[in-house]
Amino acid sequence: MRDARTNIRDALYEAPGPRTRRLTAVGTALTLAALVVLIALVIRRFYEAGQLDSKYWALFAKYTTWRYIGKGLVGTVEAALMAGTLTFALGFTYMLLRISRLKAARAVGTALVEFTRGVPTLLFIYFFFLVVPQLGIKLSAFLKITLPVAISASGVVAEVLRSGVNAVPNGQREAAYSLGMRERSVFLKVVFPQAFRIVIPAMISELVIVLKDTTFAYVVSFPDLMQNAKVLISNYDSLLAVYLVVAVIYILINYLLNKASDFMARRRNQVKGAAAV
Amino acid sequence: MQALLTTWKLTAVAFAIAFVLGVLITVMRVSPLKPLRFFGDFYVQIFRNIPGACLLIILVYAFPYLDIIWSYFTCVLIAASLIPAAFCSEYLMTGINAIPVGQIEAARSIGMTFAQMIRKIVVPQALRSSVLPLTNLLVATMLTTALASQVPLRPADLTGLVAHINTHAVGGVTAFFISAMLYCATAVVIGQIGNLIDKKVRILR
Repeated sequence: MRDARTNIRDALYEAPGPRTRRLTAVGTALTLAALVVLIALVIRRFYEAGQLDSKYWALFAKYTTWRYIGKGLVGTVEAALMAGTLTFALGFTYMLLRISRLKAARAVGTALVEFTRGVPTLLFIYFFFLVVPQLGIKLSAFLKITLPVAISASGVVAEVLRSGVNAVPNGQREAAYSLGMRERSVFLKVVFPQAFRIVIPAMISELVIVLKDTTFAYVVSFPDLMQNAKVLISNYDSLLAVYLVVAVIYILINYLLNKASDFMARRRNQVKGAAAV
Repeated sequence: MQALLTTWKLTAVAFAIAFVLGVLITVMRVSPLKPLRFFGDFYVQIFRNIPGACLLIILVYAFPYLDIIWSYFTCVLIAASLIPAAFCSEYLMTGINAIPVGQIEAARSIGMTFAQMIRKIVVPQALRSSVLPLTNLLVATMLTTALASQVPLRPADLTGLVAHINTHAVGGVTAFFISAMLYCATAVVIGQIGNLIDKKVRILR
Protein backbone atom coordinates (compact mmCIF):
# COMPACT_ATOMS: atom_id res chain seq x y z
CA MET A 1 0.00 0.00 0.00
CA ARG A 2 2.76 2.42 0.92
CA ASP A 3 6.18 2.86 -0.52
CA ALA A 4 8.47 0.30 1.11
CA ARG A 5 11.50 2.56 1.44
CA THR A 6 9.80 5.31 3.37
CA ASN A 7 7.43 3.13 5.34
CA ILE A 8 7.61 4.44 8.86
CA ARG A 9 5.68 1.44 10.09
CA ASP A 10 8.72 -0.71 9.41
CA ALA A 11 11.36 1.89 10.13
CA LEU A 12 10.22 2.00 13.76
CA TYR A 13 11.55 -1.44 14.44
CA GLU A 14 15.10 -2.65 14.46
CA ALA A 15 16.04 -5.78 12.63
CA PRO A 16 14.74 -8.37 15.08
CA GLY A 17 17.02 -10.84 16.82
CA PRO A 18 16.04 -14.50 17.29
CA ARG A 19 14.28 -13.87 20.60
CA THR A 20 12.22 -10.96 19.29
CA ARG A 21 11.37 -12.91 16.20
CA ARG A 22 10.04 -15.74 18.35
CA LEU A 23 8.03 -13.25 20.41
CA THR A 24 6.62 -11.68 17.27
CA ALA A 25 5.67 -15.09 15.92
CA VAL A 26 3.87 -15.95 19.16
CA GLY A 27 2.14 -12.57 19.18
CA THR A 28 1.07 -12.97 15.58
CA ALA A 29 -0.36 -16.40 16.31
CA LEU A 30 -2.18 -15.13 19.39
CA THR A 31 -3.74 -12.12 17.68
CA LEU A 32 -4.65 -14.24 14.70
CA ALA A 33 -6.39 -16.65 17.04
CA ALA A 34 -8.16 -13.76 18.74
CA LEU A 35 -9.40 -12.51 15.38
CA VAL A 36 -10.63 -15.94 14.40
CA VAL A 37 -12.45 -16.25 17.72
CA LEU A 38 -14.01 -12.84 17.16
CA ILE A 39 -15.27 -13.81 13.72
CA ALA A 40 -16.53 -17.12 15.08
CA LEU A 41 -18.43 -15.29 17.82
CA VAL A 42 -20.10 -13.05 15.26
CA ILE A 43 -21.10 -16.02 13.12
CA ARG A 44 -22.40 -17.85 16.18
CA ARG A 45 -24.46 -14.83 17.07
CA PHE A 46 -25.99 -14.92 13.58
CA TYR A 47 -26.57 -18.64 13.87
CA GLU A 48 -28.20 -18.48 17.27
CA ALA A 49 -30.50 -15.69 16.17
CA GLY A 50 -31.47 -17.85 13.20
CA GLN A 51 -30.25 -15.26 10.74
CA LEU A 52 -28.18 -17.73 8.76
CA ASP A 53 -31.39 -19.47 7.81
CA SER A 54 -31.58 -19.92 4.06
CA LYS A 55 -34.97 -18.24 3.90
CA TYR A 56 -33.32 -14.93 4.73
CA TRP A 57 -30.68 -15.25 2.07
CA ALA A 58 -32.56 -17.11 -0.68
CA LEU A 59 -33.76 -13.88 -2.26
CA PHE A 60 -30.23 -13.12 -3.36
CA ALA A 61 -30.31 -16.13 -5.65
CA LYS A 62 -33.10 -14.53 -7.63
CA TYR A 63 -32.41 -12.47 -10.71
CA THR A 64 -35.21 -10.01 -9.92
CA THR A 65 -33.65 -9.12 -6.57
CA TRP A 66 -30.39 -8.15 -8.18
CA ARG A 67 -32.16 -6.29 -10.92
CA TYR A 68 -34.02 -4.32 -8.29
CA ILE A 69 -30.83 -3.62 -6.36
CA GLY A 70 -29.22 -2.65 -9.65
CA LYS A 71 -32.03 -0.19 -10.31
CA GLY A 72 -31.48 1.35 -6.89
CA LEU A 73 -27.78 1.50 -7.63
CA VAL A 74 -28.49 3.37 -10.86
CA GLY A 75 -30.64 5.79 -8.87
CA THR A 76 -27.83 6.30 -6.37
CA VAL A 77 -25.25 6.83 -9.10
CA GLU A 78 -27.53 9.24 -10.97
CA ALA A 79 -28.19 11.23 -7.82
CA ALA A 80 -24.50 11.24 -6.90
CA LEU A 81 -23.41 12.37 -10.37
CA MET A 82 -26.05 15.07 -10.57
CA ALA A 83 -25.27 16.26 -7.05
CA GLY A 84 -21.56 16.11 -7.86
CA THR A 85 -22.02 18.30 -10.93
CA LEU A 86 -24.13 20.80 -9.00
CA THR A 87 -21.60 20.79 -6.17
CA PHE A 88 -18.85 21.57 -8.61
CA ALA A 89 -20.78 24.43 -10.19
CA LEU A 90 -21.64 25.92 -6.78
CA GLY A 91 -18.15 25.37 -5.39
CA PHE A 92 -16.62 26.99 -8.47
CA THR A 93 -18.85 30.04 -8.00
CA TYR A 94 -17.97 30.43 -4.30
CA MET A 95 -14.32 30.02 -5.17
CA LEU A 96 -14.52 32.79 -7.79
CA LEU A 97 -16.15 35.01 -5.18
CA ARG A 98 -13.46 34.22 -2.65
CA ILE A 99 -10.55 35.06 -4.95
CA SER A 100 -12.26 38.15 -6.33
CA ARG A 101 -10.64 41.55 -5.95
CA LEU A 102 -13.81 43.05 -4.50
CA LYS A 103 -13.86 42.90 -0.74
CA ALA A 104 -17.65 42.51 -0.60
CA ALA A 105 -17.56 39.55 -2.99
CA ARG A 106 -14.86 37.91 -0.89
CA ALA A 107 -16.94 38.37 2.25
CA VAL A 108 -19.99 36.82 0.58
CA GLY A 109 -17.90 33.90 -0.65
CA THR A 110 -16.42 33.28 2.79
CA ALA A 111 -19.84 33.47 4.42
CA LEU A 112 -21.29 30.97 1.93
CA VAL A 113 -18.40 28.57 2.45
CA GLU A 114 -18.59 28.73 6.25
CA PHE A 115 -22.36 28.35 6.18
CA THR A 116 -22.47 25.31 3.91
CA ARG A 117 -19.57 23.68 5.73
CA GLY A 118 -21.06 24.12 9.17
CA VAL A 119 -24.60 22.86 8.62
CA PRO A 120 -25.47 19.16 8.46
CA THR A 121 -26.73 17.74 5.16
CA LEU A 122 -29.85 16.43 6.85
CA LEU A 123 -30.89 19.92 7.85
CA PHE A 124 -30.66 21.02 4.22
CA ILE A 125 -32.60 17.94 3.16
CA TYR A 126 -35.38 18.67 5.65
CA PHE A 127 -35.38 22.25 4.47
CA PHE A 128 -36.00 21.19 0.89
CA PHE A 129 -38.38 18.45 1.99
CA LEU A 130 -40.51 20.44 4.43
CA VAL A 131 -40.09 24.16 3.89
CA VAL A 132 -39.67 24.56 0.15
CA PRO A 133 -43.05 22.93 -0.64
CA GLN A 134 -44.65 25.21 1.95
CA LEU A 135 -43.40 28.12 -0.08
CA GLY A 136 -45.32 26.73 -3.00
CA ILE A 137 -42.36 25.44 -5.00
CA LYS A 138 -42.76 21.91 -6.26
CA LEU A 139 -39.59 19.95 -6.77
CA SER A 140 -39.17 16.39 -7.98
CA ALA A 141 -37.83 13.85 -5.48
CA PHE A 142 -34.64 13.76 -7.51
CA LEU A 143 -34.04 17.48 -7.01
CA LYS A 144 -35.12 17.27 -3.38
CA ILE A 145 -32.20 14.96 -2.69
CA THR A 146 -29.56 16.27 -5.11
CA LEU A 147 -29.93 19.98 -4.33
CA PRO A 148 -29.38 19.78 -0.56
CA VAL A 149 -26.57 17.25 -0.93
CA ALA A 150 -24.91 19.49 -3.49
CA ILE A 151 -25.29 22.59 -1.35
CA SER A 152 -23.86 20.97 1.74
CA ALA A 153 -20.80 19.69 -0.13
CA SER A 154 -20.21 22.87 -2.13
CA GLY A 155 -18.38 24.75 0.62
CA VAL A 156 -15.69 22.12 0.95
CA VAL A 157 -15.32 21.87 -2.82
CA ALA A 158 -14.84 25.64 -3.01
CA GLU A 159 -12.03 25.39 -0.48
CA VAL A 160 -10.45 22.49 -2.33
CA LEU A 161 -10.56 24.37 -5.62
CA ARG A 162 -9.13 27.44 -3.97
CA SER A 163 -6.23 25.48 -2.54
CA GLY A 164 -5.62 24.19 -6.07
CA VAL A 165 -5.60 27.70 -7.51
CA ASN A 166 -3.20 28.82 -4.80
CA ALA A 167 -0.92 25.89 -5.57
CA VAL A 168 -0.37 26.99 -9.17
CA PRO A 169 3.03 28.73 -9.27
CA ASN A 170 2.81 32.51 -9.60
CA GLY A 171 5.23 32.47 -12.50
CA GLN A 172 2.57 30.82 -14.64
CA ARG A 173 0.25 33.74 -14.08
CA GLU A 174 2.99 36.30 -14.67
CA ALA A 175 4.12 34.57 -17.84
CA ALA A 176 0.58 34.57 -19.19
CA TYR A 177 0.15 38.26 -18.41
CA SER A 178 3.45 39.08 -20.10
CA LEU A 179 2.15 37.38 -23.22
CA GLY A 180 -0.62 39.95 -23.17
CA MET A 181 -3.44 37.62 -22.12
CA ARG A 182 -6.50 39.11 -20.48
CA GLU A 183 -7.26 38.42 -16.86
CA ARG A 184 -10.14 36.14 -17.68
CA SER A 185 -8.28 34.02 -20.18
CA VAL A 186 -5.30 33.84 -17.82
CA PHE A 187 -7.54 32.31 -15.22
CA LEU A 188 -9.57 30.06 -17.51
CA LYS A 189 -6.80 28.89 -19.83
CA VAL A 190 -3.69 28.90 -17.66
CA VAL A 191 -4.42 28.86 -13.96
CA PHE A 192 -7.61 26.86 -13.59
CA PRO A 193 -6.71 23.87 -15.79
CA GLN A 194 -3.59 23.34 -13.73
CA ALA A 195 -5.41 23.93 -10.47
CA PHE A 196 -8.02 21.40 -11.45
CA ARG A 197 -5.44 18.76 -12.18
CA ILE A 198 -3.93 19.33 -8.75
CA VAL A 199 -7.24 18.80 -6.96
CA ILE A 200 -8.53 15.77 -8.90
CA PRO A 201 -7.78 13.32 -6.04
CA ALA A 202 -9.50 15.57 -3.51
CA MET A 203 -12.47 15.94 -5.83
CA ILE A 204 -12.86 12.18 -6.09
CA SER A 205 -12.83 11.96 -2.29
CA GLU A 206 -15.50 14.62 -2.24
CA LEU A 207 -17.57 12.47 -4.59
CA VAL A 208 -17.41 9.74 -1.95
CA ILE A 209 -18.95 12.14 0.57
CA VAL A 210 -21.65 13.14 -1.90
CA LEU A 211 -22.43 9.50 -2.58
CA LYS A 212 -22.70 8.79 1.12
CA ASP A 213 -25.03 11.73 1.59
CA THR A 214 -27.36 10.47 -1.12
CA THR A 215 -28.27 7.60 1.23
CA PHE A 216 -30.60 10.10 2.84
CA ALA A 217 -32.68 9.86 -0.34
CA TYR A 218 -35.13 7.65 1.54
CA VAL A 219 -36.23 10.74 3.46
CA VAL A 220 -37.73 12.12 0.26
CA SER A 221 -38.50 8.61 -1.09
CA PHE A 222 -36.29 8.86 -4.14
CA PRO A 223 -35.64 5.31 -5.38
CA ASP A 224 -31.94 4.94 -4.62
CA LEU A 225 -30.15 1.89 -3.28
CA MET A 226 -31.25 2.46 0.31
CA GLN A 227 -34.89 3.08 -0.59
CA ASN A 228 -35.02 0.01 -2.81
CA ALA A 229 -33.49 -2.00 0.01
CA LYS A 230 -36.42 -0.95 2.18
CA VAL A 231 -38.88 -2.15 -0.46
CA LEU A 232 -37.04 -5.46 -0.76
CA ILE A 233 -37.24 -5.87 3.00
CA SER A 234 -40.96 -5.37 3.09
CA ASN A 235 -41.33 -7.92 0.29
CA TYR A 236 -39.06 -10.64 1.62
CA ASP A 237 -38.93 -9.97 5.34
CA SER A 238 -35.19 -10.37 5.65
CA LEU A 239 -34.04 -7.10 7.03
CA LEU A 240 -30.60 -7.96 8.30
CA ALA A 241 -29.44 -9.74 5.16
CA VAL A 242 -30.59 -6.99 2.80
CA TYR A 243 -29.08 -4.18 4.84
CA LEU A 244 -25.78 -6.00 5.19
CA VAL A 245 -25.58 -6.62 1.43
CA VAL A 246 -26.44 -2.99 0.72
CA ALA A 247 -23.82 -1.80 3.20
CA VAL A 248 -21.22 -3.99 1.50
CA ILE A 249 -22.16 -2.54 -1.90
CA TYR A 250 -21.77 1.01 -0.59
CA ILE A 251 -18.46 0.18 1.05
CA LEU A 252 -17.14 -1.41 -2.15
CA ILE A 253 -18.08 1.56 -4.34
CA ASN A 254 -16.57 4.06 -1.95
CA TYR A 255 -13.49 1.91 -1.47
CA LEU A 256 -12.94 1.82 -5.23
CA LEU A 257 -13.44 5.58 -5.47
CA ASN A 258 -10.91 6.15 -2.70
CA LYS A 259 -8.47 3.83 -4.43
CA ALA A 260 -8.95 5.79 -7.66
CA SER A 261 -8.23 8.98 -5.74
CA ASP A 262 -5.03 7.49 -4.27
CA PHE A 263 -4.02 6.31 -7.72
CA MET A 264 -4.48 9.75 -9.26
CA ALA A 265 -2.57 11.35 -6.40
CA ARG A 266 0.32 8.91 -6.80
CA ARG A 267 0.42 9.34 -10.56
CA ARG A 268 0.54 13.07 -10.14
CA ASN A 269 3.40 12.83 -7.68
CA GLN A 270 5.29 10.60 -10.09
CA VAL A 271 4.80 13.07 -12.92
CA LYS A 272 5.97 15.88 -10.68
CA GLY A 273 8.98 13.83 -9.59
CA ALA A 274 9.88 13.07 -13.20
CA ALA A 275 9.60 16.74 -14.14
CA ALA A 276 11.85 17.76 -11.28
CA VAL A 277 14.65 15.41 -12.31
CA MET B 1 -32.00 24.99 23.71
CA GLN B 2 -32.17 21.52 25.05
CA ALA B 3 -31.77 20.22 21.53
CA LEU B 4 -28.58 22.19 21.12
CA LEU B 5 -27.28 20.70 24.35
CA THR B 6 -28.13 17.21 23.11
CA THR B 7 -26.22 17.89 19.92
CA TRP B 8 -23.24 19.20 21.86
CA LYS B 9 -23.33 16.31 24.30
CA LEU B 10 -23.50 13.76 21.49
CA THR B 11 -20.69 15.52 19.67
CA ALA B 12 -18.40 15.70 22.69
CA VAL B 13 -18.93 12.11 23.81
CA ALA B 14 -18.77 10.72 20.28
CA PHE B 15 -15.59 12.61 19.55
CA ALA B 16 -13.96 11.46 22.77
CA ILE B 17 -14.78 7.83 21.98
CA ALA B 18 -13.72 8.30 18.37
CA PHE B 19 -10.40 9.76 19.43
CA VAL B 20 -9.57 6.98 21.88
CA LEU B 21 -10.69 4.35 19.38
CA GLY B 22 -8.76 6.08 16.63
CA VAL B 23 -5.56 6.07 18.67
CA LEU B 24 -6.12 2.42 19.50
CA ILE B 25 -6.63 1.53 15.85
CA THR B 26 -3.55 3.52 14.91
CA VAL B 27 -1.49 1.63 17.48
CA MET B 28 -2.74 -1.59 15.91
CA ARG B 29 -1.81 -0.35 12.47
CA VAL B 30 1.78 0.45 13.40
CA SER B 31 2.27 -2.63 15.57
CA PRO B 32 4.64 -5.33 14.33
CA LEU B 33 1.89 -7.97 14.46
CA LYS B 34 0.46 -8.59 11.00
CA PRO B 35 -3.06 -9.64 12.05
CA LEU B 36 -3.45 -6.48 14.14
CA ARG B 37 -2.27 -4.34 11.24
CA PHE B 38 -4.68 -6.08 8.97
CA PHE B 39 -7.54 -5.62 11.40
CA GLY B 40 -6.74 -1.93 11.78
CA ASP B 41 -6.59 -1.35 8.04
CA PHE B 42 -9.77 -3.34 7.55
CA TYR B 43 -11.61 -1.36 10.21
CA VAL B 44 -10.59 1.92 8.64
CA GLN B 45 -11.65 0.87 5.15
CA ILE B 46 -15.03 -0.33 6.36
CA PHE B 47 -15.96 2.66 8.46
CA ARG B 48 -14.40 5.23 6.19
CA ASN B 49 -16.61 4.03 3.38
CA ILE B 50 -19.92 3.14 4.98
CA PRO B 51 -22.62 5.82 4.76
CA GLY B 52 -23.63 7.03 8.22
CA ALA B 53 -27.31 6.48 7.58
CA CYS B 54 -26.61 2.90 6.51
CA LEU B 55 -24.67 2.14 9.68
CA LEU B 56 -27.27 3.72 11.94
CA ILE B 57 -30.10 1.82 10.29
CA ILE B 58 -28.24 -1.44 10.69
CA LEU B 59 -27.58 -0.69 14.36
CA VAL B 60 -31.14 0.37 15.10
CA TYR B 61 -33.25 -1.94 12.94
CA ALA B 62 -31.08 -4.92 12.06
CA PHE B 63 -29.26 -5.60 15.31
CA PRO B 64 -32.40 -6.49 17.24
CA TYR B 65 -32.62 -9.51 14.95
CA LEU B 66 -29.34 -10.62 16.46
CA ASP B 67 -30.85 -10.11 19.91
CA ILE B 68 -28.71 -7.04 20.39
CA ILE B 69 -30.91 -4.19 21.48
CA TRP B 70 -29.48 -0.83 22.34
CA SER B 71 -31.24 2.38 23.18
CA TYR B 72 -31.56 4.92 20.40
CA PHE B 73 -29.08 7.15 22.13
CA THR B 74 -26.48 4.39 22.28
CA CYS B 75 -27.03 3.57 18.62
CA VAL B 76 -26.54 7.15 17.51
CA LEU B 77 -23.51 7.44 19.74
CA ILE B 78 -21.97 4.27 18.36
CA ALA B 79 -22.63 5.26 14.75
CA ALA B 80 -21.32 8.76 15.35
CA SER B 81 -18.12 7.52 16.95
CA LEU B 82 -17.20 4.44 14.90
CA ILE B 83 -17.05 6.44 11.67
CA PRO B 84 -15.00 9.40 12.92
CA ALA B 85 -12.66 6.90 14.64
CA ALA B 86 -11.69 5.58 11.22
CA PHE B 87 -10.98 9.08 9.93
CA CYS B 88 -9.12 9.93 13.13
CA SER B 89 -6.85 6.95 12.60
CA GLU B 90 -6.30 8.00 8.99
CA TYR B 91 -5.21 11.49 10.07
CA LEU B 92 -2.93 10.14 12.77
CA MET B 93 -1.39 7.74 10.25
CA THR B 94 -0.78 10.66 7.91
CA GLY B 95 0.88 12.46 10.81
CA ILE B 96 3.05 9.45 11.54
CA ASN B 97 3.90 8.91 7.89
CA ALA B 98 5.00 12.53 7.66
CA ILE B 99 7.81 11.90 10.15
CA PRO B 100 10.99 11.46 8.16
CA VAL B 101 12.51 8.00 8.56
CA GLY B 102 15.84 9.71 9.24
CA GLN B 103 14.55 10.92 12.60
CA ILE B 104 13.90 7.36 13.73
CA GLU B 105 17.33 6.31 12.58
CA ALA B 106 18.86 9.28 14.37
CA ALA B 107 16.99 8.46 17.55
CA ARG B 108 18.15 4.87 17.41
CA SER B 109 21.74 5.90 16.78
CA ILE B 110 21.80 8.01 19.94
CA GLY B 111 20.60 4.94 21.82
CA MET B 112 16.94 5.74 22.50
CA THR B 113 14.80 2.79 23.44
CA PHE B 114 11.66 1.92 21.52
CA ALA B 115 9.40 3.39 24.19
CA GLN B 116 11.40 6.60 24.27
CA MET B 117 11.18 6.86 20.51
CA ILE B 118 7.42 6.47 20.53
CA ARG B 119 6.94 8.85 23.44
CA LYS B 120 9.35 11.59 22.49
CA ILE B 121 9.42 11.52 18.70
CA VAL B 122 6.47 9.79 17.14
CA VAL B 123 3.50 10.74 19.32
CA PRO B 124 4.25 14.46 19.75
CA GLN B 125 4.82 15.00 16.06
CA ALA B 126 1.87 12.91 14.95
CA LEU B 127 -0.46 14.77 17.33
CA ARG B 128 0.85 18.18 16.38
CA SER B 129 0.53 17.75 12.68
CA SER B 130 -2.98 16.38 13.03
CA VAL B 131 -4.46 19.26 15.02
CA LEU B 132 -6.13 20.85 12.01
CA PRO B 133 -7.53 17.62 10.54
CA LEU B 134 -8.80 16.71 13.99
CA THR B 135 -10.65 20.01 14.43
CA ASN B 136 -12.25 19.43 11.05
CA LEU B 137 -13.12 15.98 12.29
CA LEU B 138 -14.77 17.44 15.38
CA VAL B 139 -16.97 19.57 13.12
CA ALA B 140 -17.67 16.52 10.96
CA THR B 141 -18.63 14.58 14.09
CA MET B 142 -21.10 17.29 15.00
CA LEU B 143 -22.61 17.08 11.53
CA THR B 144 -22.79 13.31 11.85
CA THR B 145 -24.82 13.59 15.03
CA ALA B 146 -27.57 15.09 12.87
CA LEU B 147 -28.18 11.42 12.09
CA ALA B 148 -29.92 11.33 15.44
CA SER B 149 -32.90 12.99 13.79
CA GLN B 150 -33.51 9.69 12.00
CA VAL B 151 -34.51 7.91 15.19
CA PRO B 152 -37.00 9.03 17.81
CA LEU B 153 -34.58 10.37 20.38
CA ARG B 154 -35.64 12.03 23.63
CA PRO B 155 -34.59 14.76 24.05
CA ALA B 156 -34.24 15.31 20.33
CA ASP B 157 -31.09 16.73 18.77
CA LEU B 158 -31.10 19.97 16.84
CA THR B 159 -31.93 18.60 13.39
CA GLY B 160 -34.50 16.23 14.82
CA LEU B 161 -36.22 19.03 16.68
CA VAL B 162 -36.43 21.23 13.60
CA ALA B 163 -37.84 18.40 11.52
CA HIS B 164 -40.32 17.69 14.30
CA ILE B 165 -41.44 21.31 14.52
CA ASN B 166 -41.93 21.46 10.79
CA THR B 167 -43.89 18.26 10.44
CA HIS B 168 -46.25 19.10 13.29
CA ALA B 169 -46.68 22.81 12.93
CA VAL B 170 -45.94 25.29 10.22
CA GLY B 171 -42.90 26.79 11.91
CA GLY B 172 -41.34 27.38 8.55
CA VAL B 173 -38.10 29.00 7.75
CA THR B 174 -37.31 30.52 11.14
CA ALA B 175 -36.63 27.24 12.91
CA PHE B 176 -34.33 26.14 10.13
CA PHE B 177 -32.52 29.43 10.10
CA ILE B 178 -31.94 29.46 13.85
CA SER B 179 -30.70 25.90 14.01
CA ALA B 180 -28.47 26.39 10.96
CA MET B 181 -26.96 29.41 12.67
CA LEU B 182 -26.39 27.45 15.88
CA TYR B 183 -24.63 24.64 14.00
CA CYS B 184 -22.64 27.15 12.03
CA ALA B 185 -21.59 29.18 15.05
CA THR B 186 -20.41 26.04 16.82
CA ALA B 187 -18.45 25.01 13.75
CA VAL B 188 -16.81 28.42 13.40
CA VAL B 189 -15.86 28.52 17.09
CA ILE B 190 -14.36 25.04 16.90
CA GLY B 191 -12.48 26.03 13.76
CA GLN B 192 -11.06 29.17 15.37
CA ILE B 193 -9.86 27.28 18.45
CA GLY B 194 -8.30 24.67 16.19
CA ASN B 195 -6.45 27.33 14.21
CA LEU B 196 -5.19 28.87 17.42
CA ILE B 197 -3.84 25.58 18.74
CA ASP B 198 -2.40 24.75 15.36
CA LYS B 199 -0.49 28.03 15.18
CA LYS B 200 1.02 27.36 18.60
CA VAL B 201 2.14 23.80 18.03
CA ARG B 202 2.71 23.56 14.28
CA ILE B 203 6.05 22.17 13.22
CA LEU B 204 7.49 24.01 10.29
CA ARG B 205 9.15 21.70 7.86
